[in-house]
Amino acid sequence: MAREPQAEPAPAGAGAGDELPPAPRGVSAEGAGPWRLAYRRLLRNRVALAFLALFVLIVAFVLAAPLWSRYVAHTGPNTTHTLETIAVNGKKREVVAPSGVPIGPVWFGAGGKFFLGADGGLGRDEMVRLMYGGRTSLLIGFAAAAITTIFAILLGLLSGYYRGWVDAVIARMLDVIWAFPVLLLGIALGTALAVGGLKIGPIEISGSSLWIPILIIGFVYVPYMARPIRGEILALREKEFVEAAVAQGAGPLRIMFAELLPNLASTIIVFFTINVANSMLLEAALSFLGAGVQPPNSSWGTMISGGISIIYTSPLLTIIPGLMITLTVLSVNVFGDGLRDALDPRSKVRLEARLGQAEAEGTAI
Amino acid sequence: MKKLGAAVAVVVLGGALLLGLSSCGSGGGGGKEGGTLKGSYTSFPDYMDPQLSYTAEGWTAMQNVYIPLLTYAHASGEAGSEVIPGLAKELPKIANGGKTYTLYLRKGLKYSNGEPVKASDFRYAVERMFKVNSGGSFFYSDIVGAEKFQETKSGGIPGIKTDDATGKITIELEKPRGTFDNELALMFVAPVPPNTPAKDQSPNPPPATGPYEIVKSDPGRGWSYERNPQWAKNNSKLMPELPSGHVDKIDIKVIRNQSTEVNYVEQGKLNWMFDPPPAARYAEVKSKYEGTQFRVEPTISTYYFWMNMKKPPFNDQKVREAVNYAVDAKALERIYAGQLHPTQQILPPGMPGYKKFELFPHNMAKAQELFKEANPSDRNITVWTDNESPNDEAGAYYQDVLKKLGFNAKLKVLNADNYFTVIGNLSTPELDTGWTDWFEDYPHPNDFFEPLLNGESIQPTNNENFSQSNIPALNKKVDTLGEEQLGSSQEEQYAALDKSFMEKAPWVPYGNRELSTFVSSAIDLEKVIWNPTFEDDFTSFQFK
Repeated sequence: MAREPQAEPAPAGAGAGDELPPAPRGVSAEGAGPWRLAYRRLLRNRVALAFLALFVLIVAFVLAAPLWSRYVAHTGPNTTHTLETIAVNGKKREVVAPSGVPIGPVWFGAGGKFFLGADGGLGRDEMVRLMYGGRTSLLIGFAAAAITTIFAILLGLLSGYYRGWVDAVIARMLDVIWAFPVLLLGIALGTALAVGGLKIGPIEISGSSLWIPILIIGFVYVPYMARPIRGEILALREKEFVEAAVAQGAGPLRIMFAELLPNLASTIIVFFTINVANSMLLEAALSFLGAGVQPPNSSWGTMISGGISIIYTSPLLTIIPGLMITLTVLSVNVFGDGLRDALDPRSKVRLEARLGQAEAEGTAI
Repeated sequence: MKKLGAAVAVVVLGGALLLGLSSCGSGGGGGKEGGTLKGSYTSFPDYMDPQLSYTAEGWTAMQNVYIPLLTYAHASGEAGSEVIPGLAKELPKIANGGKTYTLYLRKGLKYSNGEPVKASDFRYAVERMFKVNSGGSFFYSDIVGAEKFQETKSGGIPGIKTDDATGKITIELEKPRGTFDNELALMFVAPVPPNTPAKDQSPNPPPATGPYEIVKSDPGRGWSYERNPQWAKNNSKLMPELPSGHVDKIDIKVIRNQSTEVNYVEQGKLNWMFDPPPAARYAEVKSKYEGTQFRVEPTISTYYFWMNMKKPPFNDQKVREAVNYAVDAKALERIYAGQLHPTQQILPPGMPGYKKFELFPHNMAKAQELFKEANPSDRNITVWTDNESPNDEAGAYYQDVLKKLGFNAKLKVLNADNYFTVIGNLSTPELDTGWTDWFEDYPHPNDFFEPLLNGESIQPTNNENFSQSNIPALNKKVDTLGEEQLGSSQEEQYAALDKSFMEKAPWVPYGNRELSTFVSSAIDLEKVIWNPTFEDDFTSFQFK
């Protein structure tokens, strides 16, 4: 079976060989499958690996939310403590001052309670909210990216393979969605669905459900991924291996999913990581504007939105969730870049060629 | 009336009274005439339509645009509660045992578009108000034939007779109504031209009778005023009691971030903000500007959580009592950064008939015990609130309390612009419990009972009786007291009524709010009038 794009050894080998330090232990392009090659290239990209490690750390941090909540902070993410006092290093302090200003970070001064302070007049534990909010943000990022990817693949395959009126209908539909500014479409859908929820046939989603922002974000990014996929399919279906499959009597489904789809693997993986990052950013923006995650549930976006109003007295309440979003998106993006270089090293060579680096140009030609 | 968001501060300033009176009329006491006043609101008013608006936002915005037959004195403090003639020549002559009101329209009045104001326009305004199902309808349903008109929306209201030639207006009531003077002074029945469509005119408000006209209204974003050209020519000469205002233009923008509003007022980019500074900046603004640009203002208001008595679980009195014991007004005081004084009753201090009592001192153990006894089968409830700080936080606090009590409570936070429209529509699903507030429409305790708790005032849209409280014995008491003129015996009875209602626990009242006026350094704060009903008075703003 053909896996053309990755199976061309010359540019792949040349690109990787010139780019990166010599392989340590008998690594050679000969006899290795494209996936194995990609894996080896990825292992040599230290920066990408470092950011992957950072991402794993963030995931571990948010997954530990119930543990921290139960054994360290002894409170839930939405539990209010307005009138309570805590002992910080033996001194009694109010969680919320009578003027409404919340307590700042006390680190381990109260045995881990209010590690990052309280979140405002309600006196909720900021650390617990940050961890639970991260779960929400990451869940939305990944689930929305998955939805985008699934729909984009289906639409891209159908439209690129069948062409003709199927393509015309799908492509115009995507154009319509594309024509809307993403944030405006998200806000419009978010505010409309937050009140009444969503009801399609037997499926009913309440307005406060996390699935609402997930579906909205997944939906608005579909064209951004479906159109490049359609483009690639349009090119791929003219290749000989498709003709060969047709000659063998393969049906459209088989050609689409067994012949064309595997050739898109690298594109899809790379797009998926970009989508995760974009979805998280859109979630933050929507939640900040009140059209995403519904209170009292926290996400990093809602936490920034809540913090903004008291940024003069408690700036950390805005900075910390902002930093978390930045780190997560950065780690996903840098790792995604590394992944792209590993899966399709030509793209990097092409890029450098365009930048006019003579050597790279020489190798590429 | 309700308030969409934000705070109120109640420290009555010593000279408020004198101050208010001194600032009536134009040109007096120095200061510049003219200029453009730039202001901001955190939310757009519920409606920019005199017959529909029932919020402090809308009333402040339209007080100087639509003048009713009677109106309120433009003064701060108690003096501002005095009803004076507006478009009518004098206060009504009351006959027939309090059932017939006769007024005369002043001759020569004109709308800002040049059309003459006619006596029949009053009748049209009342009909229009019923046609659009205004939240204020119940104030006028005692007019003969009004109830039928409210249902059928056709055939006219036989209880209102007008004569355009003489300007005579006669209103017949089914039964006496002690508060009718006050109600004739509300914008709900301010005359509008008879060709004004009977639907929400917020994007295109009707022509004005007052000193300012709204020349542009962009719902959700802002609106602007200019001087009403007919005011200087005609109306001001006919109504010399009403001030003409100092500034020539007023531009109001909706700025959603209260902190940004504070920054802009500090920098002079804005001259005034409607909402008080947000909780987190309140202390800072107060200490920096009190006396020069900032003033704490008294209000007669009650903030409360309503519980829908029509359906489970809040149709059970024990459950409602449990919630009352569970909510701690002191926590809410802190959430409102001290701009709210804890209360447990319906009538606020300053309202005739107020007598302090506390039926449900905070006691979580007792609350849980009551809840256990009641053992409601329906524990899935929705808690409603709007998104203005700190009402959203009050909602989140309330939801947490209900969860601790044993409910599975979901929080629904709506945009403040349409919050009351949504929860005032009985067909909205899951109206279980939620946040609201009430600011006096006029200084009479009936204003807290009739619209908010009398079963007869429940209406399908623009409803104000969010608890859907309908207790026949108490309805009757509200009705009979409403027919009488307010005296010390009535005040006693209102105090008793307050207690009788709270014994049924339809609400969880939690505080009386303080508000504030915050202006830029270019504005003369001393001249700004804070009316107990209409709050900041645009005609009193003057550049130094």
